[in-house]
Amino acid sequence: MKIVNDLNFRKQAKELGISMWKTPSFLFLLMGIITIVAMASVYYVSNFYESPEVLVIAESVVVITIFSIGNSIILEVERIARLNKMKSEFVSVASHQLRTPLSAIRWETELLLTKFGKGLSEKQKSGIETINLLAIRMTRLVSDLLDVARIDQGRLILKKSCFDLEKIVQETVHSLIVVAKGKNTNIIFKNSGTPVIVVGDAEKLRLAIENLISNAIKYTDGKGKVEVSVRKKNGFVIFSSKDNGVGIPDEQQSQVFNKFFRSDNAVKYQTEGTGLGLYIAKNIIEQSGGNIWFQSKEGIGSIFSFSLPLCSPVKARHFTAKAGSKHKA
Amino acid sequence: MIVEDETTLQKTLAEFLAEDGFEVLCASDGEQAVALAKKGKPDLVLLDIILPKKDGYEVLTELKSEADTKNIPVILLTNLESPEDIDKAFEKGASTYLVKSNYKLEDIAKKVKETLKM
Repeated sequence: MKIVNDLNFRKQAKELGISMWKTPSFLFLLMGIITIVAMASVYYVSNFYESPEVLVIAESVVVITIFSIGNSIILEVERIARLNKMKSEFVSVASHQLRTPLSAIRWETELLLTKFGKGLSEKQKSGIETINLLAIRMTRLVSDLLDVARIDQGRLILKKSCFDLEKIVQETVHSLIVVAKGKNTNIIFKNSGTPVIVVGDAEKLRLAIENLISNAIKYTDGKGKVEVSVRKKNGFVIFSSKDNGVGIPDEQQSQVFNKFFRSDNAVKYQTEGTGLGLYIAKNIIEQSGGNIWFQSKEGIGSIFSFSLPLCSPVKARHFTAKAGSKHKA
Repeated sequence: MIVEDETTLQKTLAEFLAEDGFEVLCASDGEQAVALAKKGKPDLVLLDIILPKKDGYEVLTELKSEADTKNIPVILLTNLESPEDIDKAFEKGASTYLVKSNYKLEDIAKKVKETLKM
């Protein structure tokens, strides 16, 4: 009976959104039972009837039954796989289509504010600014959804090159200072002054770094402190972002990198958020040949870190050669 | 010259650049773009990729193969962002590749000025 419990058709049917008797595990079990019954009956038949015709007919019936059940399992699995693919494609297409109208809103409001702002009252201007900021936020969300769809389809392709990680961290910290000030939070980044050249997709990694630092800012409250650091260790570069924010409850720490996951205290504390940032960051960093990890204590804070491989002279030559030929074209 | 089939985007970008002192030509499809580039001899082309009649790559190839237009710098301005698209654009002779949804009008104008060394 334990096996039957383990299979749990009802749960599987609910998860897949199909009726119970159509779940692959139910059909598989059914196929097993039929095979056993069939074997037994063939044995029984062969004991009582000497005639080979009866045996052949019995065996044919068994084979046809098993074959048709097997076929329906395959069809059902195929249907589910196809639906899953369609879902990812839908997200891709819909997100892509959303980008044009979103660009139009952003550009139109920007044009209004920067070139035709004369005569607008402060109130009108701040209203248009809000529309502009919200359109930017939505664009960001659409990009995140597109990235998730790409990750799910195995189509997130990184454009690797050698670049200065410290410069990107510096720029990201700089771009987030205003947000941090708004939350009464201090960001500290000690720049070593020497470039730290790593291998990876610079633009995608910028996104990952932005996700980590803006999370740190988002989940600290008043007199917050975020310390960002970049250091070299055994052929790798380690980035860390340490905050004194709300932290992640112990029992939920294993789910942190799951898609759409947000911890209970995070949701209570900050309603805005999609639970996609860390999922995307993890995929980008791992695909770049690095690792991501964290330490956290609820009420005390979190440290999120990742490693990236340093750029070796061979790789550096390879990438500059490629970039050089591009500029000549 | 702006080549963009989405009229709202075309109009906004054109107005912004006109306010910055540029003289702007607009085309809404690939065929029109090639014809207008030959006739109007723009200093620079902002080119979308997904276009009716001829796509941006075809336009780019034609512009780069004709003696009168091959020296006009072309900035691709699109929402496609796969590495293959970017590589293809540079192979065909694009000067810069910008993803629309990542750029403000101000940044696009800045890139145009950089490319024209203004």
